Amino acid sequence: MENCITKYCIINPEEVIVDGNIEYKNTDGNPFGEFMKSVYRHFDIKYPKYFKMDNLCKIAFIASEIILKDNEKIKETAPNKIGVILQNSHSTIDTDTEYAATIIDKSNYFPSPAIFVYTLPNVMIGEICIRNKFQGENTCFISKEFDIEFISDYVNNLMDSGKIDKCIAGWADYVENNYKTMIFLVEKINENQKDNISFKPENLKKIIKQGE
Amino acid sequence: MNTIYTLTDNIITSLGFTTESNFNSLKNGISGIAQTFDPKITQTPMFTSLIDSEMLKNEFTQYGDRVDYTRLEQMMILSISKALKQTNIDTKSGNTIFLFSSTKGNIDLLENRRQNFSRERINLWALADEVCRFFKNPVKPVIISNACISGVSAIITAAHLLQENKYSNAIVCGGDIISEFTPSGFQSFKAISSNPCKPFDASRDGITLGEGVGTLILTSNKNLVTEKNPIIFRGGSNSNDANHISGPSRTGDGLFFAIQNALIEAGKENKNIDYISAHGTATQYNDEMEAKAIALAGLEDVPVNSLKAYWGHTLGAAGIIECIAGIHSIKEKCIIQSLGYHDLGVSVPLHIITKFENKEIKNFIKTASGFGGCNAAVYFSELNAD
Repeated sequence: MENCITKYCIINPEEVIVDGNIEYKNTDGNPFGEFMKSVYRHFDIKYPKYFKMDNLCKIAFIASEIILKDNEKIKETAPNKIGVILQNSHSTIDTDTEYAATIIDKSNYFPSPAIFVYTLPNVMIGEICIRNKFQGENTCFISKEFDIEFISDYVNNLMDSGKIDKCIAGWADYVENNYKTMIFLVEKINENQKDNISFKPENLKKIIKQGE
Repeated sequence: MNTIYTLTDNIITSLGFTTESNFNSLKNGISGIAQTFDPKITQTPMFTSLIDSEMLKNEFTQYGDRVDYTRLEQMMILSISKALKQTNIDTKSGNTIFLFSSTKGNIDLLENRRQNFSRERINLWALADEVCRFFKNPVKPVIISNACISGVSAIITAAHLLQENKYSNAIVCGGDIISEFTPSGFQSFKAISSNPCKPFDASRDGITLGEGVGTLILTSNKNLVTEKNPIIFRGGSNSNDANHISGPSRTGDGLFFAIQNALIEAGKENKNIDYISAHGTATQYNDEMEAKAIALAGLEDVPVNSLKAYWGHTLGAAGIIECIAGIHSIKEKCIIQSLGYHDLGVSVPLHIITKFENKEIKNFIKTASGFGGCNAAVYFSELNAD
């Protein structure tokens, strides 16, 4: 068996790419919130909790919804055999700044638990796990740039060790209206099939180029 | 597969700047938690465990210039330097990798803009780069921000990297500071205890936060090991509750999966576990969830404690300093009292350690759980145990 990319989604401020095809464009050059709302509608996502999420969670969540859409087969895999491994650069800096603003002015002091809970980057993983009932390995790594060698090694090791059979893996980052996510569904597939894209740095490099 | 040895360690908390001073306090039931009225930390008096700033200043000056490093960077550099003193690891070598765990890193830079650091410095990778540069390490560090399980996650990741032969030595350093950011957030959740926290107790009413840094050095190089029967990493795993982002599972199934996978990886078929170092934050839901997970794993008869009433919940440091305490419990043949505990306050009759005891133990499990629904478990034992 080989660990292969069976679906992927890239979202940047211009477009949504799914499996190499531009599936949706930000033709009006909308800011993040508007653009994501139109992506949410376009892909017919139905999850009211989405509107409570912070921007980092929103972008990671939408990409995960797109790659898992109509995937009934994944429900046959045991919840504790599906992992979510993501990497990010700026942690939750936007939400941190928003939260800090609620405590800096002592005459207007209103720390908000609803904002505070989103000041941890791994919460984006939690949101994806809750939505899909995934209970396997989950870790949030921080790196200045997407470290494809590290993430592919890490995920392949988890899958080869038998800890998980499937994994949502990749990158999600949001800072001051600059954002990008690249999320992959990785599954064990019979080796040497013609269309297999193994989850290896050389393949990831090629795919990532599409979103640049 | 390579055997992963624990080599040396350091703990910096309110209870001192060495593992020895911290562990001696634990043995004697001494807590570092005290009430603070500092308006830079909290708007109402709060129990917490803080590192002495004067002591940090005096100690750090021997290593570097304070103006060049943030509070957390100073704590980390000091902790790593102290751990390194006890061994011959060359940090300049490409064989040594650094791993960092933190929830909020240099978050004080966001609140206090008078500090002379670049905007970029708030990023965890900037902090990690500064610390690696101090030790002239050429390897790209691994950084983990997995809420309250970060420290345990970092140890597991480090051990797996060494098992794959990618590096020979791993320096795992985790920590968080207490500024106003985190306490105010937990206060807004009404999750802060009105007294020093009481893990697993019937009258527990929330967490106590603490400041700390821990460093654990792991190696696959047997030649660096001086002990006859060293303590080794045997297995570790993470999981998710998939239940709620800010509340743990009601069943404990997520943490149970992590414990189960850690023991499978360890090849541990019998249930002879000598000690469980629980997460035990002293919130109603966490401790109850943990008790259920321990029962699901069939480990309810194993002696268990939480160390949170000594140091508070030190977030990114917690998993590391609590593993270090477990390692020293094996080395010094003792089990530490679960401070703050009087009457069972969870639905499973756990075997909570009510007094310090000299007792031979050969292994332990450390568990952790956090926001985002994440859980982790790691298993250590003596080299010559089952």
